[in-house]
Amino acid sequence: MTLAVQCQGIWKSYRRRPRLGIKAALLTPRAPDSRFARHWALQNVSFEVRRGQAFGIVGHNGSGKTTLLSLLLGSLLPDRGALSIHGRVASLIEIGAGFHPELTGRENVRLFGSILGMRLREIRERYDRVAHFSELGDAVDEPLRTYSAGMIARLGFSIIAHSPADVLLVDEVLAVGDARFQDKCHEMLFAFKASGGSLVIVSHNMEALTRLCEFGLCLDSGAVAAHGPIGPVIDYYATLTANRPKAISPGK
Amino acid sequence: MTSSRPPAVQVEFNRTAHALELLYLLVVKELKVRYKSSVLGYVWALANPFAFAFVYWFAFKYVMRVQVENYSLYLITGMFPWVWLSSSVVHASHSFEGNAFLVKKVRFPQAILPLSNVAHELVHFLFALPVILAFLWYAGEIGPKASWMWQIPLMLATQMAFAYPLAYTFAITNVYVRDIGHLAGIGFTLLFFVTPMVYTIDMVPISWRPWFAFSPLHLLIDGWRSVFLHGRLDLLDVATLLGWSSAFAAAAALIYRKLGPRLGELL
Repeated sequence: MTLAVQCQGIWKSYRRRPRLGIKAALLTPRAPDSRFARHWALQNVSFEVRRGQAFGIVGHNGSGKTTLLSLLLGSLLPDRGALSIHGRVASLIEIGAGFHPELTGRENVRLFGSILGMRLREIRERYDRVAHFSELGDAVDEPLRTYSAGMIARLGFSIIAHSPADVLLVDEVLAVGDARFQDKCHEMLFAFKASGGSLVIVSHNMEALTRLCEFGLCLDSGAVAAHGPIGPVIDYYATLTANRPKAISPGK
Repeated sequence: MTSSRPPAVQVEFNRTAHALELLYLLVVKELKVRYKSSVLGYVWALANPFAFAFVYWFAFKYVMRVQVENYSLYLITGMFPWVWLSSSVVHASHSFEGNAFLVKKVRFPQAILPLSNVAHELVHFLFALPVILAFLWYAGEIGPKASWMWQIPLMLATQMAFAYPLAYTFAITNVYVRDIGHLAGIGFTLLFFVTPMVYTIDMVPISWRPWFAFSPLHLLIDGWRSVFLHGRLDLLDVATLLGWSSAFAAAAALIYRKLGPRLGELL
């Protein structure tokens, strides 16, 4: 089996506050070390994903999960560490936000398919399958602004699921549409794995992660708290959640 | 899954072909979105330059009594290329900001976004071209010229090469300092009046004239005028413009190398 994703010692920091604007320059006193005021979003994260496998990432809000996916996608660059992905990457992140409300479903498929890296020929070949999977029927020729949120999500999922990617990044979108469509999505992801594709999934849906993933890691404030087979990782996350001090303690 | 890699030439060809398809789809999208459910459709693309030309023609010809031969032709032939340039740069300056989702969440050739703004305005210019030529014939009795066959395509290419690096630079710097977008709008209004658009270069005080003549915007607009009105094109001017374009392109490339990698972080 060959590797699809490889992360070695990834560090990523954000500047605490980007100092932009006249108001900020005048009103905010500049601390002498402000250039070094950094927030480490990821600290020494390493993992690998093999072809045909799914990798789950769990952690509390703000623990660096989405930053990690953005690094894998290439829209952010790591400060330190090596990251390599073999094949085409596509992201199932915030489905539907790349669509235009005035265009019809069909036109959006063409445009978004092209943005995802497909040639027009490929889009034409896949169009029928995308439309069929999305279950939109005749609505594909109506402008997107007439769609319900569920319809948009279904169309978005269909396009990305039919794009010729080797690695799919999934951020909390397993809750698309009704229960039946969700089952379809899961089947689609299993089929994607079976054909040699790899998944990196961020989710709070532990049941879905257990079903789909082989391995995973748990992030805690940007550091790897647990790494290995998905079962123990999820168990660790559960204990982390249980032991976490709550901001508002229930009156006892 | 295949493990054999296609040859590098084919990869490059595919990438270019894909970029062109994406550009085409973005321009079509922009045209569709802008004129959807409007009755007059693309006539609106003509309305803006014509309205301005008419206002200046009235104000300067009849109120201020400017003595310029064929003043309406002078205005029209300058106005359309100007609107192409200024609209594309002003729109492009918001192209990354306005497509933050795509830049952050999808991996695709981002440089296409500002290029699609310039190309979209090019399409408007091409739509307007028959109207400009008809106006020249009707109002100035300037018939079609054989030399237009090479001069107009050359000027189109020159203006694309000139506008794109500018559009790109504004788009990428606007992500860092959002003031750039505002600056572009005001900047082009100011430049409109320091470029011989509503007056001729002969009316500029003689000591300032070299500065006005030096401006690449003047060279560009004057090139178009000379093509439309006289069927003449000074190739030295075109070469100078392409020199300016190369300088802008070099600056754009430098800015991209410096700022491009952090684009996703700041949007």
